[in-house]
Amino acid sequence: MSAIDPAFTALPIPSPAASSRSIARRILGRAARSTEFRIGLALFAILLLAAAVYPELSGIDPTKMDVRARLLPPLFMGDKWSWAHPLGTDQIGRDMLVRSVVGLRYSFLIGVASVAVTLLIGCVLGAVAGYFGGRVDTLAMRVTDAQLSIPMIILAIAVLGVSRPTIPAIILVLGLSNWPVYARVMRSVVMAERGREYVRAAQVSGATHARIILTLLIPLLAPPILLTSILDVARMMIFESTLGFLGLGVQPPTPTFGNIIADGRKYLLNAWWIATMPGVFLCLTLTSINLIGAAFERARNTIYGGV
Amino acid sequence: MLGAPNGRDGVRSPMFVLSFLIRRLAQGAVIIFLVSLLIFTLLRVVPGDPVRLMAGGMAPEALIEEIATKMGLRDPIVVQFGRYMGKVVQGDLGQSFVRPANGAATGGASFNDATRGERAEVLDLILETLPMTLQLAATALAIALVFSTALGVAAGLNPGGWIDKLAFYVSSVFISLPNFWLGIVLALLLSVKLGWLPAIGYAGYSYTILPAIVLAVELSPVLIRTLSSAVAAQMGQSYVAIGHVRGLTLPRIVLNHALRNASVPLLNVLGVQFSSLLGGVIIVEYIFDYPGLGLLTINAVLQRDFPLIQGIAIVTSAIFVLINILVDLAATSIDPRLEY
Repeated sequence: MSAIDPAFTALPIPSPAASSRSIARRILGRAARSTEFRIGLALFAILLLAAAVYPELSGIDPTKMDVRARLLPPLFMGDKWSWAHPLGTDQIGRDMLVRSVVGLRYSFLIGVASVAVTLLIGCVLGAVAGYFGGRVDTLAMRVTDAQLSIPMIILAIAVLGVSRPTIPAIILVLGLSNWPVYARVMRSVVMAERGREYVRAAQVSGATHARIILTLLIPLLAPPILLTSILDVARMMIFESTLGFLGLGVQPPTPTFGNIIADGRKYLLNAWWIATMPGVFLCLTLTSINLIGAAFERARNTIYGGV
Repeated sequence: MLGAPNGRDGVRSPMFVLSFLIRRLAQGAVIIFLVSLLIFTLLRVVPGDPVRLMAGGMAPEALIEEIATKMGLRDPIVVQFGRYMGKVVQGDLGQSFVRPANGAATGGASFNDATRGERAEVLDLILETLPMTLQLAATALAIALVFSTALGVAAGLNPGGWIDKLAFYVSSVFISLPNFWLGIVLALLLSVKLGWLPAIGYAGYSYTILPAIVLAVELSPVLIRTLSSAVAAQMGQSYVAIGHVRGLTLPRIVLNHALRNASVPLLNVLGVQFSSLLGGVIIVEYIFDYPGLGLLTINAVLQRDFPLIQGIAIVTSAIFVLINILVDLAATSIDPRLEY
């Protein structure tokens, strides 16, 4: 699932170094003006708010069984629906809305954490490769090439299937799957920056290489990359729910999108909502994130395109 | 910038192509070696003993150790890897740990059960399932290409127009549909409720269509975005304006010239998308119980069938390497300005 966005890898070098800091702000400003971004942000804010407060506010335990209220359909469907369970209940009477919302929490946190791992590895490795060049660069790029040609899904399934899938293990596996993209972008922008006067000045005045990379280059060049990495949060959330579906994600009784849907699949014919409703929820979340990310991406392409 | 770079006069010498092929195949061999080393090591480092599964839960610890030692699973990893690669080079991917050759059930009460058949060759298992997966992938690719070309080109011809907006929203929604969920929903709708398409198992080509649609939905967003931005960029080039002056009709300019140039980024994306297509194939085959390489992979992992997992990883990374070489060859024949 490591799709490479063509526009991303073909990222042109930002022109004047002085205005680079404002590029992130310009992308932000430009994206904020588009309708897609506003729709995405509004949807995302509602969903995030629901995920943050609904389970505590409603006081419903996502793992509490209630046999009398089992297999209730969602609102306005069939004749047994109730306001207490807007998305219905599953085969042992657990509330689907609370379960979906708790699933969203795990999915989002795992998504953000794994993108953070990806960014950390990718940016640092790319910056080091681009800054030092030569043999370090060659080695880093060969590792990157090899990584890109391994079908990551096989690796992820193999590792998580054979060992026990814990949350840190899942985050690590997801985070390790997509860093080469960032390493390449970071390397190309750092290569363009390393010969500039301010970098030379820092070198002459005795700053260590680590200091230059960490305090000058990464803070300057990372923000535009950070904005478009939002798209990867959505990608990682899909990956996480896929693993959950295969039984290789966060384990039950903790509800996640993947294990709820896998569970609901067994009751598909007499209770279609168990498998479909969490999916609708997940899909809405991902769409909102993708709209925001795509708006950033568009804005970045226009700004780098010099329009 | 005058002549349209249409490549018909840009044929490279065969020597050039040959040296390119040799170089790329050598690089590919290194990549495949790294992939096998990685998978091999990972499988042996992470916990989970395949012998325990093979011999059954009731087998005594001493027997497990004896079998494992006999199979060489207690040797140092480097020794095991050397032995394995020595055979792989000769085209022998080994035998499956758990699957019998004749299709009978495995995993009896004891390891030396007389009713156990010969164990299946990994290569045979892969060659049996690979055509099924290729059929699925080709169908999915065809659906995705037709759909994304129609939408992407229409969007690229009129940037900012309503089709462009539609393409943007369609790709944003498609990319947000988890394939396993879409598979379940489509099976419920098209197969159970409407009865249009068969869904589970395989008994004829019609069983390929539903899984292929799910894969196509997963593939389309990237293709649509790539095509629409590539077509939009090409339509701004001076050769298009000159085409109008030369009296060419718009369809002719788009189909003969712009689309040809716009297909280079599309090809590159397709090469890279291979690994995500593979991920999709695994999930989709698992949902629809489609007897291809993906289902084989999942089962191999769940049964800790080391030789089979390794064999699949080697074959898929080899396919990945070959596809990317083909993509680069095709791209240079479309646009000879590209360097090998």
